[in-house]
Amino acid sequence: MTNMIKAELYRLTKTKGFYLFWSVALVTYLITIVYKEEGGLSLGAPLISDKSIKMDIRMVQRNFTYFYLFIIPPFSLICSEFTDKTYKNTITSAVSRRDYYIEKSAFCIGYSLVGFVLLNLLFYAANALINGSEYSSSFGDYFKAVMTQLPLMNAISCLFIMLAFLLKKGAAFNSVTIITPILYTTVALTMYGIGTTKKIAESMLKYEISTVILNLPVCTADHYRMKCYIFCAGLSAASLLIGYLVFSKKELD
Amino acid sequence: MRETILKTENLTKSYGKFTALDNADINVYRGDICGLIGRNGAGKTTFMKIVTGLTDQTSGSFQLFGNSGSTKFDKRRIGCLIENPAFFGSMTAFQNLKYYCLQKGIADMSKIDEVLALVNLTDARNKKFKTFSLGMKQRLGIAFAMLDDPDIVILDEPINGLDPIGISELRDTFKMLNRERGITFIISSHILTELYAVSDRFIFIDGGRILKDMTRQELDVECSRCTVVKCDDVKHASTIIDGMGITEYKIIDKNEIRIYQENVSVKELNKQLIKSGVDVDGINESGVSLEDYFKQLVGSGKD
Repeated sequence: MTNMIKAELYRLTKTKGFYLFWSVALVTYLITIVYKEEGGLSLGAPLISDKSIKMDIRMVQRNFTYFYLFIIPPFSLICSEFTDKTYKNTITSAVSRRDYYIEKSAFCIGYSLVGFVLLNLLFYAANALINGSEYSSSFGDYFKAVMTQLPLMNAISCLFIMLAFLLKKGAAFNSVTIITPILYTTVALTMYGIGTTKKIAESMLKYEISTVILNLPVCTADHYRMKCYIFCAGLSAASLLIGYLVFSKKELD
Repeated sequence: MRETILKTENLTKSYGKFTALDNADINVYRGDICGLIGRNGAGKTTFMKIVTGLTDQTSGSFQLFGNSGSTKFDKRRIGCLIENPAFFGSMTAFQNLKYYCLQKGIADMSKIDEVLALVNLTDARNKKFKTFSLGMKQRLGIAFAMLDDPDIVILDEPINGLDPIGISELRDTFKMLNRERGITFIISSHILTELYAVSDRFIFIDGGRILKDMTRQELDVECSRCTVVKCDDVKHASTIIDGMGITEYKIIDKNEIRIYQENVSVKELNKQLIKSGVDVDGINESGVSLEDYFKQLVGSGKD
């Protein structure tokens, strides 16, 4: 496992995706700090900011940006292996197919989550230093807000790993991952317009990813949070299991 | 007794109704340079893919170094190049090999330059893989296979895309590594003459079935020019042959003797055998090229 981590870290620094991941996140945070207004992507979540919440926590609520940033690690680490067919080298002379799946998945999840926490903490430190306490919360409150999103970020990462092992080719993987939340929102909004399916649509929108990301850091309703976490745990486990079963059973070209 | 490095028993691989490998029994011994000969689609790559863990067999089993071939330790003793060499295009030859060194836990990075020198790629050390010619890619694949000082190297069509000088150099490299480091090789190819130039054992495969497994000496005997004597009593016939001063001959079975000595008078031989009461079924000249021999084998395999 240690050898694989060392090797992946080495290769990661040779990919464009590595620099894209960090630079996009840092630029987003830089703009936020400079303009003193939270920024980032939002799909289904309302854009109206609650000004009673401090700017750094509001920025945590806009962490939907990571949904797209999390596409980069599986694309760079897994899809590229299938595109270049380099997975053969590892499976034939370093690790078994099972270990290959476990080690790749573990590294992808680890890298994504460490990146997520680290970037959020960097933002906190920079914002607190530059904008002062008017725009920043206590470290405890901020850290707690970030941690509330961690199970969801883990689930997103696991889902992407499954898709990478399932779809293999980068183009297919990118298309599916990018379009999924848009498709989800479109379906939910269409159903909302139809009277009979309005209640289902409301539920769908309540648990839509960007809405959950927006709600979790400030949510006081335990049952909502619990439902989200149970769903995240289920999605994580199911994704990793399906990914493994597909990869271990399917013939490799 | 020689150590068996790879042993397969009834190894079979099916893709739906198509059987790519059919009950293959193969033994590879330490120090062999084993040539796997077969046409495209004969089952060579399937065999190699199973042994290296790229695919699972449908039935049968195999052992590497006396153990099931799935343990990590075993894998690190194998160097492989299956199908086309695959590396990261945006990374240089050195970076690609460094990635695999880290992955395999090889601490000594000087191994990279050593294997690059082995395949004459020192000058291309810092060139990106995507700029490599087919021959250079092939040689980098072989360098990768040698990276971990393996006990056995499995190479699938390694001379594809190489120029004649490159082929010759590679052949010498294989022989040198076999002789000096005792590395066992399994090399597949459909180019018989090239495989003949490097291998000391030959496994003929067609339609997924192992047709013949023989040493170089046995193959030479099969292919060399000779006079074939078919008779009812080879023991008596051999006494007559001895009496004629012929020393280079071999009793093949209870009805066949092959004489490898040149300038044997068939007329005189026939006369002597009949005179001594041997019932001669036929005497004829034989001898085939490697290609013809392979064609014969493939033909008989279909029957």
